[in-house]
Formats: sequence, C-alpha cells, structure tokens
Amino acid sequence: MKPWARYLICAVAGLALGAGAAVQRVRTGAVGASTAIGPWTTGKDFGTAGASAFTRAVVSLRGILALPAHEARYYNAAVDSAGQPLDGKCRYRVSGKAMPTRWWSMTLYDHAGYLVTNQANVFSVASAAVPDQANWSVVVAPAEQAGMWLPTGRIDRFELTLRTYLPDDGGVGNLTRDQLPSIVREGC
Amino acid sequence: MRRWILPPLLGLILAVAGYVMTLTQFPHVLMSLATKRVGKMGGYNTMYAAPLATDKARSIVRPSPDLAYSSCPYDVSNGPVLVDAEPVPAPYWSLSVFDARTDVAFVRNNIEAEGQPIRIAIALAGQPVPDGMQAVRVKDASGIALIRILVQDRAQFPAIDAARRKSSCKPLS
Repeated sequence: MKPWARYLICAVAGLALGAGAAVQRVRTGAVGASTAIGPWTTGKDFGTAGASAFTRAVVSLRGILALPAHEARYYNAAVDSAGQPLDGKCRYRVSGKAMPTRWWSMTLYDHAGYLVTNQANVFSVASAAVPDQANWSVVVAPAEQAGMWLPTGRIDRFELTLRTYLPDDGGVGNLTRDQLPSIVREGC
Repeated sequence: MRRWILPPLLGLILAVAGYVMTLTQFPHVLMSLATKRVGKMGGYNTMYAAPLATDKARSIVRPSPDLAYSSCPYDVSNGPVLVDAEPVPAPYWSLSVFDARTDVAFVRNNIEAEGQPIRIAIALAGQPVPDGMQAVRVKDASGIALIRILVQDRAQFPAIDAARRKSSCKPLS
C-alpha cells in the first residue's frame, strides 16, 4: 500500500470515529446528567456561556431553548426511586412536598422528548392544580386513576421533567432529595 | 517503523478533532434547524403565536403544555429586529432571546418588568438601535426570541391568546 493511502485511510477513519463517538455520546446523554439527585438529574448552566460543549449539545438535542437557572431549573427522571427505567405499562406514585419555587410543573415525555398520546389529553401536572402543596401525590399510570393522574399512554419508556420556575435561591442550588418528589413503582 | 506509527497517530489526532468539532457544532446545527422549523410557521422577524402544545407538537422538543409560546425566529443580517412583549393576564410570562449557539442573550419576566411591556432591539455589534430601546447584542445573525406564558387553566387560554397577539416582532427598517 502506498504511504499516502495509509495516511488517507487513517485520517478518514479517525475523523469518522471521532464524529461518531460524539454523536453517540450526545444521543445517549441525559439533560443535566452531570448531577443526579435520587432519580432526578439536573444541571445549573443550561443556556449560559458557561455550559460545557457536551451540556450544550445534549440540551440542544433534548431540551432546546432551556432557560438559565435563575429563571427555571429543570429536573429530569428516566428511572424511578429504585433506579429502574420508567415503564409506561406500570403504575407509579410520585409524591412530593412544597418546593422553594414560585411554581412548578411535571410533564411526561417519550424518550425523544415529545408529549405522549393519551385518551385524556393530559400531559402534565402543575402546582396550581395541586390542592395541598405541602403534601401531594400524582399517580402516573396507563389507565385512569382516582385523584391526580398523569397518563403514560402505555409506551415502553417514558421520562418525567420537573420544571421549577423562579426558584427562591435564584437557581444557585439544587433541590435536595427530600425536596424533590419520590417516584415509587406500585405495580405493572 | 515511522510509516506504521505516523498514520495511526494522524488518525488519533483527527479522531479527537472530529469529536470536539462535532460536539461544538451540534448546538449550531440543531438551533439552525429549530429556527427554520419555527420560521416555516410564521416567517422570520414576525411573532408567531403557537397553539398550546399537544402530542402532535413536533417543532421543538420538550414543549411545556403549561405554557403558551409565541416565537420570533429573527435574522438581524440586514439590521436590528424590534421585539415588543405586551403584558398578558397570567401570573407568569417572560421574554427570552436565544442565540445561534442556544445561549440565552436576554431574559426578563413580568415580575422584573413590573407588569410593563418589555421592548428590546436585537442587534449585531455595531448596529445602531433606536434611543430608549434596550439593545440585546447577539454574535450571530439568527436565533429565536420566545415569549412564554403560564396557562394555569386552559379555560383562561382564549383571554391570554387575545392579549398575547398584541406582542410583535419586526425589523427596524
């Protein structure tokens, strides 16, 4: 083999491998994967110049147009409190307390980040709909439930995104495990 | 010996370069696609009041169904773009400006604005903006200005929708 051919093959293979590795890492990355708090992952530098190239790439794929921390914090869960993937055929109880933020909402998405088709046309639960902020629970399940219900649409895997708007501390700190809702699987 | 070491070494260096380059370009490419998608709905430098997000929404990932979005895909190549966010009957609304790298160049909410309209001029460095208007300087010509409005009850949406349509986005000249 000619020397130039060896250089060319190695150069093309190197570029392709590097680009492919980057795409794969971003595609499998979670929003705010840098900080895990129980089942939730979060990050504080979305939408800022201080965000790393990786954070910026993942946010652009999974949550483009995210606001900076002082305006909103985003917590994402792809697993329950026991660390098992969230399964749309199972029933979960999401229980929480008052959160130090002006208002919050919790939305159910498919893995690609889109709202999930369901007969009730319910896609989220927001703080305004919760009667007791200090002690609330929502059942996330495929079939209709008494009380507050967030439908899963029976999809294989889903994710929950908790948005907390205008956090009391200006977004500088993360909510603690005690402050964030727990996600407990009750059955499948 | 060198002929067997140098080509893989070049491959390794280019692999690292390819990795970094791809990671860096990711936000630019996706933001450009998002801007074009939003632009197709209402055009550039105009405010588009999108319906509340449902399972059919595909223009932006992770839309919040609790928010009404009005968006303006801007292009300041030919001069500044003026954005006017008018107050709406909702407990929270905000105006944010995202640049081509997905960074937030500006954000202000109704509480900070004390319920008054928010008026800005998005401009590149060196482009003159009208007196009395807050300039939001961006590094690249295109991006998205976005109004978010909290809709606590979908029954309130018609009133909010009517009010938000007074907001505007237009080129200076």
